[in-house]
Amino acid sequence: MKTQESATPRRLSFEIFRYNPEDPESVPHMQTYELDEAPYMSLYLALNQIRETQDPSLQFDFACRSAICGSCGMMVNGRPALGCRTLTSDLPDVVRLHPLPVFKLIGDLSVDTGTWFREMVEKSEAWIHTEQPFDPEATEARMDDDLAQAIYEGERCIECGCCVASCGVANVNKDFFGPAGLNRIARFMMDPRDARNDSDWFEVVANADGVFGCIGMMACHDVCPKELPLLEVYAYLRRKSLAAAFAKR
Amino acid sequence: MLGDLESSAVDLARRQVAYELLSGASGLVLALFMWGHMILVGSILTGSRGFDWLAGMLEDYYIAQPTVIVIFALFLVHGALASRKIPAQLAERKRMIALQKGLARAGHNRPATASDISPAQPHVESLLWIWQVRTGMVILVLGSFHVILLGFDVLTPLFGERIGIEALTSTERVRGGLWLPYALLLICVEFHAGVGLYRLGVKWGSGRFLSRRVLLNIERVLLWFFLVLGFIVLLVLAGILPPPLAFLLSGVAG
Repeated sequence: MKTQESATPRRLSFEIFRYNPEDPESVPHMQTYELDEAPYMSLYLALNQIRETQDPSLQFDFACRSAICGSCGMMVNGRPALGCRTLTSDLPDVVRLHPLPVFKLIGDLSVDTGTWFREMVEKSEAWIHTEQPFDPEATEARMDDDLAQAIYEGERCIECGCCVASCGVANVNKDFFGPAGLNRIARFMMDPRDARNDSDWFEVVANADGVFGCIGMMACHDVCPKELPLLEVYAYLRRKSLAAAFAKR
Repeated sequence: MLGDLESSAVDLARRQVAYELLSGASGLVLALFMWGHMILVGSILTGSRGFDWLAGMLEDYYIAQPTVIVIFALFLVHGALASRKIPAQLAERKRMIALQKGLARAGHNRPATASDISPAQPHVESLLWIWQVRTGMVILVLGSFHVILLGFDVLTPLFGERIGIEALTSTERVRGGLWLPYALLLICVEFHAGVGLYRLGVKWGSGRFLSRRVLLNIERVLLWFFLVLGFIVLLVLAGILPPPLAFLLSGVAG
């Protein structure tokens, strides 16, 4: 890490998208801030420093600082990434920051991912459906270890929206479930506690808003900060759809 | 009433599976056919006699005639089904291109200090998809022209001395100026077929057996092999290069 050891810190230039939809006077524009790079500086640190020392009106979201809360997704030089997990040493001298596309803009770099994810979850009813009465005293049913691991893989999604922002289809079709949506559907399809069978899922998944809407640009898989195996998820959904299509009615 | 609605939703989903399967399967068959086709056309590297002998054999055994019809039908089916995923509005296509450019630029700007969790890993598949659409459009026009022309060759006595594909007619066409559309078609077809097979593999789960990097490298090797072979064939047909494998038939009576 040459930059972090050198005596003179690198001068970074941050070109940041500014717009406040709540303010009728506000016009979308790019604003430039300059900052000296510090050792192991993340975008989280840089943006906070800019807000504290240069512009208190700058809007962006952060909570956990450790890639768990999923609130600091933003377009970093055209690529979606988490601000807290992105080191400035990995970026060129000029850093262009935009809010994630697809989601509703709150202001500057801050977007409302919650509404999008809630709609997606409600549309796919991505929660456990069961007729079993809940017994808090009962021992949890045993599950195959590989299956539990596979479900856990899907569950690792932090809903930051980076995959959705990078997806060509999600950018032009607002009804598309998107990578995170398909991942969530697959997670519940795999879950033996969910009473829905393959044919119930079939009509949800096998259409242009589901897995067959995917055109295979693969950007979602490449930008996912949690490195979820999204391409494997879609292949699973395709194979399941194929099996359901040939199953007897 | 509700039952009707439910069954129609299932029918709709079944149709989507059929579209996806037909689109992928027709692409797979066409891509494999194109590679086989390139090997067959490669017979010109042994000279006109080798080319005419092979063409004559495929026609005498009625292999060429149904193949032309089936391939043209598959070509149209693939064009109709694969294009259903191309956004209809220009603004939507521009949005996709802008997104791709951002993703690609971030990868190119990756400095030497990048750590293992760098957010700027190179990403090429979005660009490959966009070029697959562009090459698909070119193939739709030039490919139709080529297949219809060859259909006349194989099924009618309209061109050349007899019914069938002839080296003389082919060389005259290439020398007469068709080398340009054929060179363009060659590049587009080999790119489109190679990338299409790569994407088809990844879509249906080849990642369990082969990594994307390995699969993409295999695709690149095949792409360059068929591109080089195709251009040598074109050079021979244009009369610029003598048939390099003519010695194979030098002792065979004509």
